[in-house]
Amino acid sequence: MTLPPHPFPLTAEDAAHFLRRTAFGPTDAQIHALVGQDARAVARAALTFRGQGAPDNPFDPSQGVTPGAMLQLTRARWLYELLYSPEPLREKLALTWSNHFVVGTDKVRNGPSLAGYLTLLRTHAATDSFETFARAVAQSPAMLRYLDNDQNRRGRPNENFSRELLELFTTGIGPYSEADVHEGARALSGWTFTGGRGTRQFLEAPRFVFNRQQHDDGQKTYLGQRGAFTGEDVIRLAATHPQTATRVCFKLHRAFVRDTPDAEAVEGSAATWRRTGGNVRAVLEELLSSAAFYAPEQRSSIIRSPVEFVVGALRSLGAPRLEAERVLSLTQTAGRMGQLLLQPDTVKGWDGGRAWINDATLLGRMQLAAALTLGAKAPRLPAAPTPLALLGQAAPLPGTERLSAAQRTYLTLISPEFQLA
Amino acid sequence: MITRRDFLKSAALAIAATSGMPAFLARAAAQAQAGDTTLVVIQLTGGNDGLNTVVPYSNGAYYAARPTIAIPRRDVLPLTEDLGMHPALKPLTALWDAGQLAWMENVGYPNPNRSHFASMAIWHTADPTQAQADGWIGRIAEQIGDPFCASTPGVTTPQALRASDFSLPSIGALDTFQVKLPQGVEGAFQQLMDAPRRGEAEYLARATRQMLQNTARVQQNAKRYRAGATYPDGSFAAQLRDAARLIAAGVGQRVLYVSLGGFDTHAGQRAEQDELLGTLAAGLAAFQQDLDRQGLAERVVVMGFSEFGRRVAENGSAGTDHGQGSVMFALGHAVKGGVHGDSPDLEALSDGDIQYRQDFRGIYATALTGWLNLDAREVLGGTFGGPAWLA
Repeated sequence: MTLPPHPFPLTAEDAAHFLRRTAFGPTDAQIHALVGQDARAVARAALTFRGQGAPDNPFDPSQGVTPGAMLQLTRARWLYELLYSPEPLREKLALTWSNHFVVGTDKVRNGPSLAGYLTLLRTHAATDSFETFARAVAQSPAMLRYLDNDQNRRGRPNENFSRELLELFTTGIGPYSEADVHEGARALSGWTFTGGRGTRQFLEAPRFVFNRQQHDDGQKTYLGQRGAFTGEDVIRLAATHPQTATRVCFKLHRAFVRDTPDAEAVEGSAATWRRTGGNVRAVLEELLSSAAFYAPEQRSSIIRSPVEFVVGALRSLGAPRLEAERVLSLTQTAGRMGQLLLQPDTVKGWDGGRAWINDATLLGRMQLAAALTLGAKAPRLPAAPTPLALLGQAAPLPGTERLSAAQRTYLTLISPEFQLA
Repeated sequence: MITRRDFLKSAALAIAATSGMPAFLARAAAQAQAGDTTLVVIQLTGGNDGLNTVVPYSNGAYYAARPTIAIPRRDVLPLTEDLGMHPALKPLTALWDAGQLAWMENVGYPNPNRSHFASMAIWHTADPTQAQADGWIGRIAEQIGDPFCASTPGVTTPQALRASDFSLPSIGALDTFQVKLPQGVEGAFQQLMDAPRRGEAEYLARATRQMLQNTARVQQNAKRYRAGATYPDGSFAAQLRDAARLIAAGVGQRVLYVSLGGFDTHAGQRAEQDELLGTLAAGLAAFQQDLDRQGLAERVVVMGFSEFGRRVAENGSAGTDHGQGSVMFALGHAVKGGVHGDSPDLEALSDGDIQYRQDFRGIYATALTGWLNLDAREVLGGTFGGPAWLA
């Protein structure tokens, strides 16, 4: 089984839909550049990353004089990439993965750890091996610290990472038992890091080490297999489990297709995943050019997260240059709307969908939209964005026709339609 | 500060906002019920270690299992001959002495789940089978018939406050909980909101209309509050202060939901849990003092829980891994102070965990029937018994 492709050249509304999902928000010029193209070629091009960051990113976390300042700069550096990177899909995927392989700045307060983690998410954004990606994350100092595996020693297991590896990062609840959690912790014992510990070493780079003395090399039973498993074995068994394909594909559908994914479509992607041995790039290329992705009923079926709201608004406005202080404060604004980058409430990550929407966060969106369009410091725009760029449809919203361009943009940004992608 | 003109404007928007609300909610939409009782639910996120909260300080098995992280006998705040509070809970001793603090021992649910998220969902839905998606407080709102009878001062809406086709409000910060439309767009905004929609767009439009109504209702009343206590710094205390303001405003809040996170103490537990319990106790003591000084304390009961306790034995990193069964607490003038229920038997463990004896739904049931005067059977889907923790 596989996902049937979208068989037609892209229309303007198709192109706007693709860019709203994969690039946060488009300009008219970006939309028109894709019109008439083949869906597969468009997906492939968007997934071709040359590793280019945004030019002249002004934020350098190593200039933070306190851990708190370093964290602010880390967030701002990422938001700057989200806003201005020439490869927005890579940033969108990094954001998606940061909500899968979650670490949080409540525990990880080391600059190089966080930078290394973000580099991993970008490097593996469309990985050809989910297992390799999972192993790299598991050995990253950020994850070792966040889920305490740096404290996991022979005879004195710490189960935190072992549990979340199965429950959240790979198979999900169901295919494993409590015994698998215990045995996994034994196999992962000895994976730790050196350097960068303590609040004063927040700029010192830590490094993964395997502490052989602290590794339990005895026989283990894990996910139905028996052997003297190492940490690598456990990552492989969990990452290549058939249920992992379904679970991670579900998350990719949530990120790109709809908030409530269709089980059959997810299974289509999972089949491709299994056939290709966890080749995420192949799964994404198929998904982003599928009939399922372009089906009319999938349009406007994802509620934008606060970061997607902020970045989508600004990118649709043509990505106007903002002062550094403004970018810093936008990270906090997104936090007040429920999404502080690198700090979800729990290791499960943000639930997304309707959970983004409540009185407090809706008010935050209205206030931000006003600041971006009508406020004294609203960015000056060469031209007001069109309904196609903002909403993915040619027609303006009812009631907005007679307003000034700024007022119309404001009301469009607070409309239910803009808050959906 | 909201001006009278601003208020009239937002109230006008709010009146139009009732359209499109679920029918049962629209019926009762504007009923603020002054004089009613309020339940404040405190969630300790991450799995609070019950054994280091209410400490069995006469029990050798406790000290044997926790050579590094046990609370030394000399440090506990004695409650009974066998049990004492963690020293960081000192701000609550006055409430204990006044008979206004209850600890419920050994609370859990059948077939315990050690996943934070599955377990939290069970407490939120009051359904250990995890078949339900609606929250128990969402069902309270359906029973009362008021979309504003419960809320959370915070930016995320817990599952407990969700019902099938709406969520109860989250009030980020009371001071900014108001809509100020820019000049000249009111009419267009109304027209925009009135447009027919389907699917998620319809959900978002309905949520926006409801928000307009909720903000109007709060701002109309919020100035009734006069602070009666100085709260400590931090978001937990700020949420409790907003809870006190909402109660003082008399806007019809029957349930308020406040969370404190970080209890997942797999490593270095003493430092982490000590700080968290200190934050908890200082915040609750200030809240209670505030209510007392405003003459509101008779109307409010606080009830706290966590999704599970920790393994009895400490792990190799001076922490504890996920366990089952923990303590709950309640405080307020209407509470029957004391320790309710038997302490866990540390000699008879289940896979290293204590075996719970009290189903949490029995504690909820008391709050529902004894305090909120609601049909607990309807909310909980069954009859559950528990200790008489209300006076």
